[in-house]
Amino acid sequence: MATTTATEVAAQPPVSPAPPAVSGKRRRSRLRRRNTLLGWSFILPNFLGFALLTLVPIVVLFYMSLTNWNVFGTANWVGFANFERLIGDGSFRISVLNTLYYSALHIPLTFVVALGLALLLNNKLRGVAFFRTAAFFPYITSIVAIAIVWNLLFSPDYGPINEILRFFGMENPPGWLTSSDWAMPAVVIVSTWRDMGYYMILFLAGLQTVPRELHEAARVDGASTIQRFFNVTLPSLRPTTFFVTVMLTINSFKIFDLILVMTEGGPGQSTLVISQFIYTKGFEESQFGYASAASVALFFMCIIVTVAQFLLNKKRSV
Amino acid sequence: MKRKFVVAASMAMVATLALSACGGSSDDAAEEGGPVTLSMSGWSLATTPEFQVLADGYMAQNPDVKVELKEYDPVNYNTLLTADLAAGSGPDIIVQKEVKFVSTFQEGGQLVDVTDVELPDDIGGTEAYDIDGASYAVPYRQDSWVVFYNKALYDQAGVEYPDGSWTWDDFAETEEALAAGLEGTAAFGGYQHGWQSTVQGFANAQVPDADILSGDFGHLKEYYERVLKLQDDKAQVDFNTRNANQLTYQGEFGKQKAAMLTMGSWFVATLIAQQAAGEADDFDWGIAPAPQYDESTAGIDNVPVTFGDPTGLGINAAVTGAKLDAAKDFLAYAASEDAALSLAEIGITPALLNDTVVETYFELEGTPDDELTEFAVSTHKTLPENPTSSKTAAIQNILLDLHTAVMSGSEPIGSAIDAAEERFENEIGD
Repeated sequence: MATTTATEVAAQPPVSPAPPAVSGKRRRSRLRRRNTLLGWSFILPNFLGFALLTLVPIVVLFYMSLTNWNVFGTANWVGFANFERLIGDGSFRISVLNTLYYSALHIPLTFVVALGLALLLNNKLRGVAFFRTAAFFPYITSIVAIAIVWNLLFSPDYGPINEILRFFGMENPPGWLTSSDWAMPAVVIVSTWRDMGYYMILFLAGLQTVPRELHEAARVDGASTIQRFFNVTLPSLRPTTFFVTVMLTINSFKIFDLILVMTEGGPGQSTLVISQFIYTKGFEESQFGYASAASVALFFMCIIVTVAQFLLNKKRSV
Repeated sequence: MKRKFVVAASMAMVATLALSACGGSSDDAAEEGGPVTLSMSGWSLATTPEFQVLADGYMAQNPDVKVELKEYDPVNYNTLLTADLAAGSGPDIIVQKEVKFVSTFQEGGQLVDVTDVELPDDIGGTEAYDIDGASYAVPYRQDSWVVFYNKALYDQAGVEYPDGSWTWDDFAETEEALAAGLEGTAAFGGYQHGWQSTVQGFANAQVPDADILSGDFGHLKEYYERVLKLQDDKAQVDFNTRNANQLTYQGEFGKQKAAMLTMGSWFVATLIAQQAAGEADDFDWGIAPAPQYDESTAGIDNVPVTFGDPTGLGINAAVTGAKLDAAKDFLAYAASEDAALSLAEIGITPALLNDTVVETYFELEGTPDDELTEFAVSTHKTLPENPTSSKTAAIQNILLDLHTAVMSGSEPIGSAIDAAEERFENEIGD
């Protein structure tokens, strides 16, 4: 049905060559209405799903954060009490600091590794498709499988990673997931390994858009490879780097799955992140009002950082 | 165009109907004397036969009542059940898998007060369901923590079998002796699983005046120090290796990699089944009572103190009328000797443990029949693992962080206790 309508629309030129004044106007408004309806009908299925599963719950979340709802019964209005409690809550503070720590390590590391891979695999090498696939593989691997295998690799006494470090003469290799100092870096290593393929694809797509002429011109002017990278490739990649930074930041703030399956926030609270704090308060301790307040806090953190990045990007583009 | 509208409208209607059918479930209260159908929650029905045993036993005695089981995923049991209850589509009889959720359900007004259900005098585990003097569930099963030991490995190490007189220091000494005797083999003296209850459960139950609701956790110290020393001396697999390799207690004990295992009595049925199926090695084993805090409760002329949570049945607050009477009657049956006998037959320790029940329990093939095992299974004072309170879940999470920090060796026990007490002040308060 949609196809016929689309063909009909396509068959009708938007502006008829010399229409009679009145009927033309009516036809045009009918056409516009029809186009609008058509547009709506295209996004309706997606929007319905979004509204039902995302928009409504988010609106409800804001309301719940101002109540003491515990799943059952009525949600009593408590105003900003949950937010006051959050500010004084030592565990929440730790979770915010840990999330920032994770982001500070994960964002630059993944950015550099993904960009490096993309540059490397943008060349016309033999078997480049294979290497691109290999780099993308971790991203589509089951997170639980990743956690189990990396747990074994990180095992302090018998794990291959420490075996190798010992082989190279390190006497006291880190305890990785068993040490409160090293657990977070270990998680960052795994998450970088997992995410690099995805961001590499984005960078690869970006690299295709860098005009070849600019490179050639720079080469003629005698620019070295490094100069060309910083003065041609990187500026031309700006839309991609911006998108990647924004996505990386939001995803780092929201980190949850990897932490849950690898460390459950431990040892102690050394890898407790905001999402896990929310999960624990909500689903383990049934304090859904309080957990909602923490979610709202996370939401605003993401919004603020994203807006800041947008402003910065705008300023730079001018 | 018109036809499209008709199709769309009818599809919308179908969707609405389907959605509304998901809602309200509790059918109207059955008429007086008419047949009644009760729904009951359960998990892993294929491998957990106890729910069907209870349902069948009751239906045999009450032909006009039908008990239907509703299966849930065991890992997300309480979350799924919570969602169903909040949506008004929960089962009539709610199996309480974990005691800490009872107060959540009760505070949320989801459970019927079942204080008036008549229970046998010597049934255990009822205090776990007591909130402000009223009962909100009836226990049918009561597991207690004991020590499983491998007689073959004891013989190999040249260590004498336990005699039931252990304090924790004796236990640690024996584990070290076993480790020394088994040196050069793949077996350790003991295996301790990664759960916080393996340390904290005993400490909370046994140390006089210990109460985690008070926010004072000093009583955990000596229990942790003892375990850490056993780890350092390599008498047991350390916590970090256990986590990295995702060891299971069934595998460690069943494959004879540890001469001793502290575990709940539910493992009896599993071990027997695994030995019969060839999943576990074939070896002689026995059960010793839980080691004690001091000598005042140790020995077979005393009643050893241990911990363990009951599993119980509550009734959905939406159940009324004749259905409620039937549900209460079902609860009374589940706590009765009849039900206890049928549970004992399948290797489960019922909440009611009298001589007849214990006898039936030991008739199961594969159960060890030495005197100490019989003593350990039948005689104990089993305290709940956690007090029933709305604060329990949050306190348990604080103590879980303490457990992982201390056992992994990333924080000494003293400062971990201070940190936990500080968090209690900050996050739980009064």
